Amino acid sequence: MRSKKTAWSFLLYFIVIMILIVQIYPVAWLMLSSFKSSIELTTKPFSLPSVWSFDNYVSVLRESNLLLYIKNTAIVTFSCLLLIIFLSSTAGFALVKMNFKLNSKLLLFFTVGIMIPIQVTLIPLFIMYKDFGLLNSYLALILPQVGFALPLSILIFTSFYSYVPNELIEAAVIDGCNIYQVFYKIISPLTINTTITVASINFVLIWNDFIFSNTFTNDKQYKTIAVGLQEFIGAFGATDWGQTFAAISISIIPIIIIYLFLNKYLMSGVSDGAVKG
Amino acid sequence: MNVLKDKKAWFIFITPALLFYLGTVFVPIIQSLNYGFQDWNGIKDARYIGLGNYIKMFNDPYFWNSVQNNLVYVVIVVLMQVFIGLFFALLLSYIKKGAGIFRTLYYLPAVVVTVAIAQMFRNFYSLQPLGLLNMFLDWIGLGHLQSAWLSNPDTALIAVSIPEGWRFTGMYMVIFYAALIAIPKEIEEAATIDGVNGWQLIRYIKLPSIKHVLSLALIMCTTGALRGFDIPYIIGVPGSTTELVTTYMYKRAFSTNQYGYGSSIAVFIVIESLLAVLLIRAIFNSRKGEA
Repeated sequence: MRSKKTAWSFLLYFIVIMILIVQIYPVAWLMLSSFKSSIELTTKPFSLPSVWSFDNYVSVLRESNLLLYIKNTAIVTFSCLLLIIFLSSTAGFALVKMNFKLNSKLLLFFTVGIMIPIQVTLIPLFIMYKDFGLLNSYLALILPQVGFALPLSILIFTSFYSYVPNELIEAAVIDGCNIYQVFYKIISPLTINTTITVASINFVLIWNDFIFSNTFTNDKQYKTIAVGLQEFIGAFGATDWGQTFAAISISIIPIIIIYLFLNKYLMSGVSDGAVKG
Repeated sequence: MNVLKDKKAWFIFITPALLFYLGTVFVPIIQSLNYGFQDWNGIKDARYIGLGNYIKMFNDPYFWNSVQNNLVYVVIVVLMQVFIGLFFALLLSYIKKGAGIFRTLYYLPAVVVTVAIAQMFRNFYSLQPLGLLNMFLDWIGLGHLQSAWLSNPDTALIAVSIPEGWRFTGMYMVIFYAALIAIPKEIEEAATIDGVNGWQLIRYIKLPSIKHVLSLALIMCTTGALRGFDIPYIIGVPGSTTELVTTYMYKRAFSTNQYGYGSSIAVFIVIESLLAVLLIRAIFNSRKGEA
């Protein structure tokens, strides 16, 4: 009995680790390759770099606009996150805790947005931004990202607010708080974890956005990393893979570090979103 | 409490979010519907042509080709994300030590920038210079199977579908895993005492318990694949072998300036997604009687 159990457990870990290799190896291989010379890249593709060379990194940072693109992405992402958190926490609060008949209909109206494909809005938004001279600006990226992030973010906040007891609000009111003070002094401090969850989910989505950036920007001044990385595609077969891998590594290392720090919050957002939703 | 019936405060809390949502999500959809009935290239005056664009769409062989490709894409993506994701989650739910670390690492591909993934796979598939996949085939002695996977018309569509499936398998695993470990232990214990074996436990206890999550994941994944865009757009081959409905819409609108026609294809994507949702719901609801 015991040996059978051990064998089963051994097999289980073996399969789980095999799967892990399939999931992680491509990314690890890419990062290792970025330290190799182009000769080594073709002759010894699977081995560790014999000499860890930073040449690819140096030339990418010197010759490309990668840092500018990262800066643009950071500006867009963090502006979006601030707006998303501000808008969805306040709207969610009013929709759950304040007493108005319209609330349930409005909540439904917001959550329907989860189903809407981004592509439907591309042509109208492109034309709108062209008319207003907003193409090639940070605003052209921030506005739609925020709009599309609201449904899920509001939903996550409302599910948290529904657990906050009304007595808490009553007590604060008796102590002389008005509604705004109740929100900022009593409710907001309680929502730290939910806020981090909403921020980390949206961070990944917005940082990685390709379609809005590709449609609304073509001036390199405003390009984000997702679009900028494409510049490394040369004419067919002429890609300098060493440099491309270095560029990819530079662009994904920050997000991987942030992910490893925040993964608890990201996981709870992803799983609660589906399991409770 | 009067403070919670403060109309002014309610407006102040809701209006900003509502304006953003209306302006960037809702109004554009109405406009899309409207453009769909127009013949418009963005420069000369728009002309209403009724169902003209839709009639054109139904007679457009390139459009139908993209619909067909999209269905293959959906099948591959759903198989990888829902079925493999469920398999991972089941395995992980039996692990006592380290499940958290595995879960974190499985999810990792989902946070990597799409373009990076697309570029990475472009390298793996490459024949000239030799990419990772072809090197691997050579290494295990299957060198004769080497191919330029992305430009070979027989494999191109599958080759652009796999990266999308691969990157989000971990995300669906996280969703299923959370649902599986939320099943009350007593139910499993009671079943085990009744002599239910491992496979029966999965088939008759675990899967039915997470049915709601399964149907939701299937809806998310199918509608996600129906609007799949990034990877096929970035590494797909020029021509029609890897054209999806979204990439076709995008090219019509932004390369050939057929804004009206592009909008009618966009409306098609919405309708198609709605139909998929209704179909999946119907399938899961009809199963209710059996269980």
